[in-house]
Amino acid sequence: MSYFTHQDSVIYLTVAAVTVFVRRVFGLHVVTSKEMQTMKLRIPKVFAVGAVAAAMLATTGCGGILGGGGDKTADSGPIKIAAVIPMSGSSAPTGVYMKNGMQLAVNEINAKGGVLGRQLALDLEDGACDPTQAAAAANKAVSNGAVISVGGYCSGATLPTLPIFSKANIPMIIPAANSQDLVNQKLPNVFLINGTGVQQAAAAVKFMVKDGMKTVALVDDNTSYSKDIAAETKKDLASEGSVKTALATSVTAGESDYSSVVHDIMGAKPDMVYWTGYYQEGGLIINQLKAAGYQGKIMVADGSVDPSLVTIAGAANAEGVLATMTQTPDTIKGAETWIADYTKAFGAAPGPYSTQSYDAVRVAAEAMKQAKSTDGDAVTKALTAIDGFQIFSGPLKFTPEHTLSNGGFQILAVQGGKFVLKDTLN
Amino acid sequence: MTQLIWNGLFVGSFYALIALGYSMVYGIIKLLNFAHGDIYMVGAFIGFAVLSSVGVIPASMSITALLIVLLLTMIITGGIGVGIEYLAYRPLRNSPRLAVLITAVGASFTLEYGVSAIAGPNPKVFPVRLEGESFDFLGARISAPQIVLMVIAVVLMLSLNSYIQRTSMGRAMRAIALDPKGALLMGVNVNKIITWTFFIGSALAGAAGVMAGAYYGKIDFLMGFIIGLKAFTAAVIGGIGNIKGAMLGGLLLGLLEAFGSQWLGGQWRDVFTFGVLIAFLTLKPTGLLGERVTERV
Repeated sequence: MSYFTHQDSVIYLTVAAVTVFVRRVFGLHVVTSKEMQTMKLRIPKVFAVGAVAAAMLATTGCGGILGGGGDKTADSGPIKIAAVIPMSGSSAPTGVYMKNGMQLAVNEINAKGGVLGRQLALDLEDGACDPTQAAAAANKAVSNGAVISVGGYCSGATLPTLPIFSKANIPMIIPAANSQDLVNQKLPNVFLINGTGVQQAAAAVKFMVKDGMKTVALVDDNTSYSKDIAAETKKDLASEGSVKTALATSVTAGESDYSSVVHDIMGAKPDMVYWTGYYQEGGLIINQLKAAGYQGKIMVADGSVDPSLVTIAGAANAEGVLATMTQTPDTIKGAETWIADYTKAFGAAPGPYSTQSYDAVRVAAEAMKQAKSTDGDAVTKALTAIDGFQIFSGPLKFTPEHTLSNGGFQILAVQGGKFVLKDTLN
Repeated sequence: MTQLIWNGLFVGSFYALIALGYSMVYGIIKLLNFAHGDIYMVGAFIGFAVLSSVGVIPASMSITALLIVLLLTMIITGGIGVGIEYLAYRPLRNSPRLAVLITAVGASFTLEYGVSAIAGPNPKVFPVRLEGESFDFLGARISAPQIVLMVIAVVLMLSLNSYIQRTSMGRAMRAIALDPKGALLMGVNVNKIITWTFFIGSALAGAAGVMAGAYYGKIDFLMGFIIGLKAFTAAVIGGIGNIKGAMLGGLLLGLLEAFGSQWLGGQWRDVFTFGVLIAFLTLKPTGLLGERVTERV
């Protein structure tokens, strides 16, 4: 059972490290109970860093975190591409897909001689889906000498990095984060290559009408991303008129029991449930809805499109579940070789946002090539002018708002345990 | 209505199992063991590892297999709880309370990211999933696995209660809770009892972890965080330090959530639940069954 080989040593080492750390740092302080109240709020972050670092040191013996430094000039050596993505915390799994997607693009471009005669180098920084940590990570990337940024997953954590990269005149190509808040900043250097919540909601409503739904229940998980889609969908449904919102409710992410929301849905008896959160809770909700005897349709948003949704929900329960999603490797014709390359390079299949992250690096390289420079202004100009560059979602051309001209959302359905294309909505 | 009550009681029994550990430890050494929710998570992962290594288990055997895994996991998580106490809490027993509180938070993160580093950050799907017939009972839809889990939870809680009330070890625990110095002077081996308390509390949390994994099907390394907070809340509602209070608090919290969600909508559920908690504690700071502690001089 190789599963727990290092457990004892890791737990022992990390507990010991934390104990020593606490004794050193806090042992000598005398703290009043009032201060203790305020400290409680700050403690977790200190420890998140401490414990993660300790755990990493214990398992790997060396720190990727501790590397870096070195060359800071922008005109020679490899071109530094910053990516602030979640590598710890609850969104860490997606961070891995993104990291690999980016690395694949970097490897391919470097194998062909790089850009402007220089190699590309990824500077991955952990944003942990946390605004404070993401801002610190962005600052670190800037001081490491990044010339372009291709990160951004959680919208809430990406938002504070915008002014940091903007001030340093570093163009940002955001592969995944897609809240309207990012667009509303109207920054000239920020470009989004994932469809936005508004576009996703429009696609969802279009399909609901087309499919003849009379009533729907909208369920979100209280995150900015999820609420954005649910609220836009509700608005679009109201102006469309033929489909009624029978229920609009939220759940708390990270729990296991969603029986109360299931109970509310059973009471509202909608034709369709539209879940706009992520796959972990989505899988559980589908499972618990089916166990409660729900017969109607279930549709999920792009955050839930992941093979794990099916395994968590149970294959029989997930069969027929619909999804609004931008193109994925599985639904793109001719992506088989890409999937094979990815799987060969990383020993695991690509997941959500692997393609967008891959494309973000390619778009960045293309813009620098067009600009014949890594200068922020020139690259931003080249990005604005880009027209017809092929990425997974189709030929790329940015709108004046720097979003995709076509969100590219289509409807997928689970068939035989896999998400397959059902309706292109054209 | 009956459905709501059943849903509330079912979730509440999970809260209660975890709340017991919080309450027992607090009762004895006045420590808020924030790592306790993560013991629940570790329990789920141990159950996962054991079941995965065994291979395919026929559906007819799943309950027997689950019971065996449950026992095994309880022993291992109990041991981990004891280990954490020995390494992270015992050296600080006479330090300021804040220091121990912080090691507890540290132990919590250590467990979370330790498991994440070993098992990977992706959610795992339990190899055995309890599935069975559902039937109607007074208008509530109840499934066979729910009944099995409820029975296990109730048996665990009842046996703990009689253990605390009837055995000499239980009496020693109560004695330390009342007055640690006095108990020491009367010849109670305080360290041994504290170790044993951690073992029992962690074993119960580990059992809850395996049960949650088998019933809900999904486990991940952060699954202990929210339920840990909820169980802590349940322990406070019931009167922290009081064993029966923890059980009652867990069930009550489950019911509050079920009804809050029904009356005000899902987005207001936690607002309602914790609003009630604040109001309740303002009126009765010691919780349902807690006793007012007078400072002994």
